[in-house]
Amino acid sequence: MLEAIKGYLSTNTTPGEAGSMFWATIYILIITIGISLAVICMNWLERKILAHMQIRLGPMRVGPHGLLQPFADALKLLIKEDIIPHDADKLVFWSAPVVVTMTSFTTFLVVPFGRTHAVTDLNIGILFMLGVSSLGVLGIIMAGWSSNSHYPLMGSLRSSAQMVSYEIAMGLAIVSAVLMTSLQTGTGTLSMIGIVDAQNAQQTWFIFKFFPLGLIAFGVFAIAMIAETNRAPFDLPEAESELVAGFHTEYSGFRWSLFFLAEYAAMLAVSSIAVTLWLGGWMRPFPNWLSGSAWNLAFSFVPALSLFVLAGMCLLGALRMPRIPQMRIQTVGLATFGSLLGFVGLVLLLPGVRERIQDIFWFVAKVAFFMYLYIWYRGTFPRYRFDQLMKVGWKVLLPTGLGVLIATAIWGLLPQLSTAILGVSQ
Amino acid sequence: MSLTPLLRKIFLVDLIKGLKVTFHYQSPSEAITEQYPLERPIVYERFRGQPRLNSNPDSGESLCIVCNLCALACPEQLIVVKGERNPATKRKEVVSWTYDLSRCMFCGLCAEACSTDALELTQDYEMALYSREGMILDQAALECGQEPVRYAK
Repeated sequence: MLEAIKGYLSTNTTPGEAGSMFWATIYILIITIGISLAVICMNWLERKILAHMQIRLGPMRVGPHGLLQPFADALKLLIKEDIIPHDADKLVFWSAPVVVTMTSFTTFLVVPFGRTHAVTDLNIGILFMLGVSSLGVLGIIMAGWSSNSHYPLMGSLRSSAQMVSYEIAMGLAIVSAVLMTSLQTGTGTLSMIGIVDAQNAQQTWFIFKFFPLGLIAFGVFAIAMIAETNRAPFDLPEAESELVAGFHTEYSGFRWSLFFLAEYAAMLAVSSIAVTLWLGGWMRPFPNWLSGSAWNLAFSFVPALSLFVLAGMCLLGALRMPRIPQMRIQTVGLATFGSLLGFVGLVLLLPGVRERIQDIFWFVAKVAFFMYLYIWYRGTFPRYRFDQLMKVGWKVLLPTGLGVLIATAIWGLLPQLSTAILGVSQ
Repeated sequence: MSLTPLLRKIFLVDLIKGLKVTFHYQSPSEAITEQYPLERPIVYERFRGQPRLNSNPDSGESLCIVCNLCALACPEQLIVVKGERNPATKRKEVVSWTYDLSRCMFCGLCAEACSTDALELTQDYEMALYSREGMILDQAALECGQEPVRYAK
């Protein structure tokens, strides 16, 4: 058994490539749990960061600095009364959250967390992700329609219009990145792992390729992905001040929490597309410039070090807690959490784990940056009006995306064009 | 037409300015939330809260001379003072003193009218009660201050 595990871990293939059902199941389980954990962390982080941006403190009472707040909320949602409106279409109402959650989790099948850390390497990976994630809007429309109520219907109508307009700009930006993969080999690839490998082969992240074309394409995608996931400032489908809660107004309890889970999973999914396509996926910074075994060793300590920093922050926070009897449990809890993080950091220092975990760490760190951006935007920007949203989508992003695509193609063909022209003239 | 507004739009200058503002607000020292039971707010000097009847710190006698000025000054007429002249000292002494806190709007006119600084509105602000009972304060309650409700599990 142990031999089998060791034997698999030493190979450099994804479970899909190795054709191993067992490992694929394990990977899917790990990813599902990981995404759910990430959503829990996001819940807490979003509330805290947003609160601090608005000069508030955020959750402070449930656990030290509100660390247990997401769990308390989850418990509350689970024991809440489960309401299906009388006039709702029961079957559609029931299946809408399932569709939304399933589609947003399915996209993670092809997300490469590392060279070997993907469930499978589809050769149409990026297409699969786009296709499945846009199925999610079907669930939103189902939810809005089956509720048989005004606000959800308005929300889902807005959502579908928004998705249709921004999917195009998003697709154009993605195509220009996919075009870049074909530069050296002559044949491009749609596989997520292939795209990162192409960035490795061309020794640059695609965001810096053909400067500023890569950057513009990335910018178009970065705006479109916020609209795709219905987040502020493009959160019209669930505009709180206008539509109560948009498409999930009539949902409560566990069904509502499924929508919540799906929204955050979708955010993670589009962020991982952005990271894979433009920010070099799982690659550490400067894999070619700062190469050599010394640099490799230095960078392999970064995951453990960053966990030590987090642990240190927790312990410092525990030291700075007010010293009164009521806060003793919270202080002890925070110190325990900090030492737990420190212990995980120590585990990450082990040579075997260190090598294995590195690419996952860099991928997660890059995705976490995008998650922070999502919260930052939400804390800063007011919501767009619907006509403004459409204007940005159709009049700005679509032409820009198209222009970038054409410019990328021409730039990529320049060497061949020049030789052809020179060849003719000679 | 100048190019600057267009360039500002293209490079999202205004949005980045906004992002900078919210980023700087993230410092925990910026937060103005008070953790109330742990951290007590500092009220202003002229804050008018819980009423108190002062007594002479040396002799322990009440400073109130039952002049009834506070009751007359009160727009809500919630102060009722009854007194009797003590034949020995030839001074009026308090028989009953009631202050209906449930009707008080903390205008402070009674404390201003008081000729001996006996009645004072203090800085105490924890006056919430579960019912209206106990909101009519007598002399003893006014002198030692109302006992705040302790919330315990």
